[in-house]
Amino acid sequence: MALEKELATYKSKLPELKDSEGKFVLIHGDELVDTYTSYEDAIKEGYSRFKLEPFLVKQIHAIEQVQFISRFVDPCAIQRA
Amino acid sequence: MPHFTLQVTPGGGPILNGYIGVSQAKRGALLAANQAIPNLVQIRGLVDAGASGTCVDPSVLTALGLIPTGSVTVNTPSTGAQPHTADQYDVSLMIPGAIPTHAALIINNLPVMCAELLVAQGFHALIGRDILAHCLFAYNGTTNLFTLAY
Repeated sequence: MALEKELATYKSKLPELKDSEGKFVLIHGDELVDTYTSYEDAIKEGYSRFKLEPFLVKQIHAIEQVQFISRFVDPCAIQRA
Repeated sequence: MPHFTLQVTPGGGPILNGYIGVSQAKRGALLAANQAIPNLVQIRGLVDAGASGTCVDPSVLTALGLIPTGSVTVNTPSTGAQPHTADQYDVSLMIPGAIPTHAALIINNLPVMCAELLVAQGFHALIGRDILAHCLFAYNGTTNLFTLAY
């Protein structure tokens, strides 16, 4: 699974992030770098710090938000980090 | 407000042409690493108010050599009642203006979901409500025209 370690870190740190609901968190491995008010700021910082290494940017929600697509498509992954 | 009006594609719906490339943020990292910037990929995108987020076919993401930078939970008719996880990628999107002097719609750092079966349905991307949130979208079924202003 792509970003498995980063997603595990997000899950474990989520209780600490409850005051940052809606912000974007940057995670590299088991390191939670910081939170940002916009996706753009978080992704820029990710590439600035970690260059072309895998990292995770995720919007913080205490309850995971579900995206909806009314078309018949298959959510997928094309490459594994 | 820049805008364009296009014909609704028979059987296809409000489809527009655009380009997807690596995000501005990744472009900077590639340049810093002396790596080549992948060429923009031309796409056909369906404007889809039924998609909460923009989706891109894996063929486009593969051509750009992208790896995931996010993960989202998604519900579609194909997933049934149980939501699935989709990898998220950072890209740039450019939709040219109606004529060369009109400003293009450009989003430099856009998170998109990877979704298969789009090409089989006649397009490469679903332009979702995350983009429409910054636009005015008018669908005139009586004239078979749609307008996107941004």
